[in-house]
Amino acid sequence: MKKLITALLFFPVLILTAQTGSLKGKIISYQNDPIPGVSVVITGSQTGTATLSDGTFEIKNLPYGRYAVEVSVIGYAKRKLSVDLNAGTKPVTVILTEETIQSEQIIVSAGKYEQRVQDLPVSTAILQPEVISRRNYLTFDDALRFVPGIAVNLEQVSIRGSNGYSKGVGARVLVAVNGIPIYSGDTGDIVWELIPVIDIARVEIIKGPASSLYGSTAIGGVINIITRSAVKNPVTHFRSYFGTYDKPAYDIWKWNNNLRTFYGMELTHANSSGSLSYTFSVKKFDNMSYRENDYARRNLAYLKLNYEFSLKNYLTFFADFLNMDRGNFLYWKDSRNALVPKDEDNGNRVKSNRLFTGLIFHHTVSDKITAEFKSSFYHTKFDGYGIELTTSTADLLRNELLANFDLSNSFVLTTGLESSYSKIKSNIFKNPDFFGAGAYAQGEWKISPAASLTLGLRYDYMKLDTLKSANAAAPKAGLNYKITKDLIARASFGTGFRAPTPSEVFTTAGVGGGIDVKSNPDLKAETSVSFELGTIYNYSDDLFFDAAFYQSDYREFIEPVLTSDAKIQFVNLSRARIQGFELNTNWNLIPGELKFTAGYNYMWARDLDNHIAMKYRPLNSFTAQIDFSPGQFDFGIDFRYSSKVEQIDFTLTQFPINLVIDGSKRVPVYVTDFSAGYNFFLGGAPAKIYLNAKNIFNYNYVEFIGNIAPIRNYSVSVEVFF
Amino acid sequence: MKNLLAAAALLASLIIITGCNKGIEPEPERVVPPGETGFSGKITFEGSWPPGVTRTHLFVFKNAIQSAADFSFLNLSAVIDPVPYGSTQFNYDSIEMNYIEHAFLPEFKIQPGEHRYVIVAQSNNPEISFARGDWVIVGVYCIGGDQSKPRSLICNEGSITAGVDINVNFNNPPPQPPL
Repeated sequence: MKKLITALLFFPVLILTAQTGSLKGKIISYQNDPIPGVSVVITGSQTGTATLSDGTFEIKNLPYGRYAVEVSVIGYAKRKLSVDLNAGTKPVTVILTEETIQSEQIIVSAGKYEQRVQDLPVSTAILQPEVISRRNYLTFDDALRFVPGIAVNLEQVSIRGSNGYSKGVGARVLVAVNGIPIYSGDTGDIVWELIPVIDIARVEIIKGPASSLYGSTAIGGVINIITRSAVKNPVTHFRSYFGTYDKPAYDIWKWNNNLRTFYGMELTHANSSGSLSYTFSVKKFDNMSYRENDYARRNLAYLKLNYEFSLKNYLTFFADFLNMDRGNFLYWKDSRNALVPKDEDNGNRVKSNRLFTGLIFHHTVSDKITAEFKSSFYHTKFDGYGIELTTSTADLLRNELLANFDLSNSFVLTTGLESSYSKIKSNIFKNPDFFGAGAYAQGEWKISPAASLTLGLRYDYMKLDTLKSANAAAPKAGLNYKITKDLIARASFGTGFRAPTPSEVFTTAGVGGGIDVKSNPDLKAETSVSFELGTIYNYSDDLFFDAAFYQSDYREFIEPVLTSDAKIQFVNLSRARIQGFELNTNWNLIPGELKFTAGYNYMWARDLDNHIAMKYRPLNSFTAQIDFSPGQFDFGIDFRYSSKVEQIDFTLTQFPINLVIDGSKRVPVYVTDFSAGYNFFLGGAPAKIYLNAKNIFNYNYVEFIGNIAPIRNYSVSVEVFF
Repeated sequence: MKNLLAAAALLASLIIITGCNKGIEPEPERVVPPGETGFSGKITFEGSWPPGVTRTHLFVFKNAIQSAADFSFLNLSAVIDPVPYGSTQFNYDSIEMNYIEHAFLPEFKIQPGEHRYVIVAQSNNPEISFARGDWVIVGVYCIGGDQSKPRSLICNEGSITAGVDINVNFNNPPPQPPL
């Protein structure tokens, strides 16, 4: 009887607990695209399902209650979420972030066609755009500071020591958008903000000379920004951030009582109609800076159109307009006034406008042959307001015809023709014009199931205004050998060259700070001979190592020096050598949740004639990043170190010129950043909010003499996709 | 768990390494005897020197020159030794190069506090004078390179204020105070 009473008492409870429902939802990417085939599993059970082609899923007959759910699929970071299932539970939407196994990633920059990273004979790195919004990097080059082997001195990027610092002039790293170079026609400088972050699919980095495919500017490597393919569903993205700089580490450095702030807004809309798809973006950025006369204001408009004539033929057109106004902070006054410019430079500013247009027509000739025609026009104009007005207008037109022949399962041939012409009108670079033309061919043979051989050659002709024309041939050879499935060896050998830019040859102006630049019409093209030996080791799907030894020998290396009459002049160093060792690892400590990335680079860069180190190149550098993503949260800690640089422009900092007081002060770099984020839904729209603290220990260092790097700053950013 | 501990240990090491060091520090303040103060800096000259100039000095006044009467000894804080004709750059130090102290009044020294008008002026008169009409202002210690916005010189007791730099552009003279 007692048993019966007990059973009757508990009967309603059993009925309640036995109530069941369906857990429904949809899995999408941050671009609002549905992701099919995603595994959705109740943690600790066999219960689960996979998403359909529209990204939806349903797990039926689940008793009401609280569930931990794991969402995972190859190519995306795993997500865990907690769901209360009851009669009122609505379908859940989960957003996944792209993440692939390092060696499985696809790259197009190394051979100008799609290749897996593990099949390449050269060192590469891939930067995902999510890291830029997660970390709220104000400019794109800030993200590059954490890529092993890359150094950024102020805004100038160097891959494995290719560049020191020369105010953006004469880059040795080719930066491109979808393979189209975006360096300006006069100084050859790069503006990183040309492409909105949301339209970046990934950034591919080739570490080491790539002149045999890309020509002159790629002597140190390539950074290729790949934009997203056409969208199928309409998506609008809004991102805004606001931040402020902390007080300087020393009271004596405080030069202003106002809060020094920075903010930005970016609105992007993408959609398609029939065969036409488009992406339109506007962006505004305003940074008061932590230093006097160092403000930066930028406005950007971006348009990308894709038109599919057929599955075999499509056209991509993109255009950018960028307007900039910034203060021109050259050197500090002295170390007691480290955030204030020299009086004579105070008030100097630069205004510039840039218009960049690119056109890519892709034609699939047959299953074996594809061709692309790429054309770009880049108009740049800047006016520098200082003691005297400096002005330059440059127009650069580039064309490239590229063909890929997949001749058999074991041989791919890539060939191309390129031409470029630029015309400059300037009161500091004279009015030179430049013409260049190149032809290249690169073949990749799969000589056995485990080995592939790459051979390439490029020939270039260059004519810079009245200077004697120059020719260069850049051969290359590479070998990739898979010792086992998880252990891969690679080797490459090649030559590179770089023609001097008009600004290196013809500049005759004051750059401020009481220093003048002197032209050098005798400047010759520099050449290099490089090799690399490297290996990839996949210990498991979650632990990856990449190691490389590299060396580049340069002839006629172009560097700015201070002449005996106290003027800066670009000259040819006879011989220079950069050699080093790089080790990178990527470790998913808890797959999908906790990831550790680290890289170390030892680099020995010497001017062999004068037996001294090359300027602004650290001997040791190390980066480490920890990403922790429990549930809807994201946390990240980034650390970077580089040793104190041995050589700088001492002539600017010492007797008798002593242009930059206390300018010899430099230290090793230790910078630690912290970020925390939360992913949520705002009125049904996926959204995320991030808090970032940069340089959390307020460590003071310089990347160039008399220029304190950004002090501690905090920012909050919000992104919404709708 | 071991992985987590390893990550935590690494993180802690990084914090310890970086948290103890502030990096670049300002040079220590140059100390002068108690009660005294001073300033130093550099004057740079651009363009051609005007003919007939016999004197070029850096003057420090307590207040801006609102009228010719303000160009007086009563408003004066310091005068630096003469700049040689034709100079392109002139480094100075108010303690070493105190013109009034050395030439006229041994007890004349700049006082701690705010001095609102620092200029470089030239005269065709071989003798030093306080007649406003004798002097042409050719450079002003200013904010943001705008010579119409004079920058105050702050002198603290027991230290030297460094970096009081003035740019003189003979092709672009500053606004002249009333004569």
